[in-house]
Amino acid sequence: MTNQLLAAIPLAIVASTPLLLAVLGELVVERAGMINLGIEGMMLTAAMTAVITAQLTHSVMLGFLGGIAGATLVGALFGLFALRFAADQIVTGTAIVLLAQGLTGFVYRELQQNDIFNQPIPRLGIDVIVPLAWIVIPIALAFLLWRTRFGLRLRACGELPAAVTANGASVALHRWTALAIESVLAGLAGAYLALALSSGFAENMVAGRGFIALSIVIFGRWKFKGALLGTAVFGIAAAAQYALQASGRGVPFHLLLAVPYVVTLLILCGIAGRVRAPESLGKT
Amino acid sequence: MNIEQRQRRLRLPIPDSRLPIAVLAAALSIALLSASGIAFGHSPRELLSILISGSVGSTFALQGTLLKSIPLLLTGLSVAIAFRAGVWNIGGEGQFLAGALGAFLAARYGMIAALAASLIAGAIWASIASAMRLWRNAPEVLTTILLNFIAIHLLGYAVNGPLQEASGKYPQSDAVPMTSMLPMLGDLHAGIILAVIAAIAAWFLLYRTSEGLRLRASGFNRSAAKWAGVNVDAQLVRAMAISGAMAGLAGGIELLGVTHRLFERFAAGYGYAGIAVALLAQLHPLGTLASAFFFGALTTGAGELQRTAGISSTVATFGQAIVILVMIVFTRSARSAGVSPAGVAASRRHGRAEER
Repeated sequence: MTNQLLAAIPLAIVASTPLLLAVLGELVVERAGMINLGIEGMMLTAAMTAVITAQLTHSVMLGFLGGIAGATLVGALFGLFALRFAADQIVTGTAIVLLAQGLTGFVYRELQQNDIFNQPIPRLGIDVIVPLAWIVIPIALAFLLWRTRFGLRLRACGELPAAVTANGASVALHRWTALAIESVLAGLAGAYLALALSSGFAENMVAGRGFIALSIVIFGRWKFKGALLGTAVFGIAAAAQYALQASGRGVPFHLLLAVPYVVTLLILCGIAGRVRAPESLGKT
Repeated sequence: MNIEQRQRRLRLPIPDSRLPIAVLAAALSIALLSASGIAFGHSPRELLSILISGSVGSTFALQGTLLKSIPLLLTGLSVAIAFRAGVWNIGGEGQFLAGALGAFLAARYGMIAALAASLIAGAIWASIASAMRLWRNAPEVLTTILLNFIAIHLLGYAVNGPLQEASGKYPQSDAVPMTSMLPMLGDLHAGIILAVIAAIAAWFLLYRTSEGLRLRASGFNRSAAKWAGVNVDAQLVRAMAISGAMAGLAGGIELLGVTHRLFERFAAGYGYAGIAVALLAQLHPLGTLASAFFFGALTTGAGELQRTAGISSTVATFGQAIVILVMIVFTRSARSAGVSPAGVAASRRHGRAEER
């Protein structure tokens, strides 16, 4: 059992890479004072656009770019409603998830006769995304948010936006930038999910990873170290799940499928009273 | 001004009706939905005519629409009550499944027992989220969503394991006993009466009782309600339980009136659709009667699109999203309309000291 668990850890790290990318993106956005439930829809759209681009261009690299483009479109839609129209962010986010599910379901069926979703997809040569997600991006973003004037202002947008305005800077600009960062990361996450972890697109393939990411941001107390730790805890729990599955101890398959969500619930409940969210989180 | 006086002032049948906006949102969703077919070579006019004839064009189509409206009405009420109270219950899908499971397990004791079980099971499933919110300060917007996924997999386990049909052929349960099925009214089932009664009861609760006033006050301005002596935590628990019971009843009625069996994709998005139903109704229980009918028609029409034009029926979900987006933009200036209770902004800041 222990051996199986250890053997499952590398797999768990790879498998939770899209989740980590989503966590990092959502962290930036929440630090800027927004809650984006729509990240689930961004990832789903990215997964689809990544597969379509990769198939049309026969290039994995361009596939990832296509994923980023898809997520950016959805992110821009969220920004349009949440920032430009100052609509409620939770309701906007929920609507965006539904929109992405409806649209990808529609396009998937329309293109089913086509070869795009049937042919084998081009494979990723060397996996650069995993070290990028677990090392480079967290360090770069932590530097950006805590060591630069821009980052200070971005975080101020999440705590006291009026102060940013009083300082002559634009709250909207910082929040849009945060959304752009999240779009890139969610795009990478969706593309990695479809092109590296799976062999193509499937309906609802994101399976709640966006919502799990939001929970891990809270667990990690809106900090990058916490985000990495939270995703690692989650990944190891998932590894235990794989190990259990491999050991064939007769835990029913469908109950194992529920494990990630139960773990996330426990993670959310384990943080009682000790977290302080950005002061202006979710306010329009 | 004491609570009684405020309540008297608020006594209007439809306090914040913005009918033109709702009609515009509905029309826009249909228009966008028809237009989206252009990209793949469908004629928008043809799509529109299929949507209309497939949902309200014949007696048969209309029956289909009414059948779909029943669960939508109840999940819509579920969301309307929760959002009015400033509680983010996005867990209609899971509560729907919990209700159906509860009804199935109690079905052998007859129809009334099964319906009661669905109410209770939905309320319990929702209350997990309010308990986590009160005891561990976990935001209900996330816990309710996570509970949806857990319910879906629990149901998957049930219909592949302990509750699988005796023949063991498909991942579905046996049919519930005849004695527990809802009586038929022509081609509809008695659930439609229950759903309409639920809508009237929800309206009465929210707008004709002091309890309902406290509930809405908690959602409208959490701290003001608190200072006025309302136990806002108790309101949260109550709103969540009632909201969950409504979604659970929807699941129970769908089981006892339509499917008679449980299977993996039982919920089919009714829970999430409830958000669109409630927002189109501007969170008014009686408005959900009309908006549930609209989304019932959209769902039925989308099914017809899939059969005759080969277009994925998920376009109904697309239509729901459009309606939600239009409604939140146009009702934004009138936040008091309840689409986004001000208190929700406060409740969203998880983990603040003065909240607890």
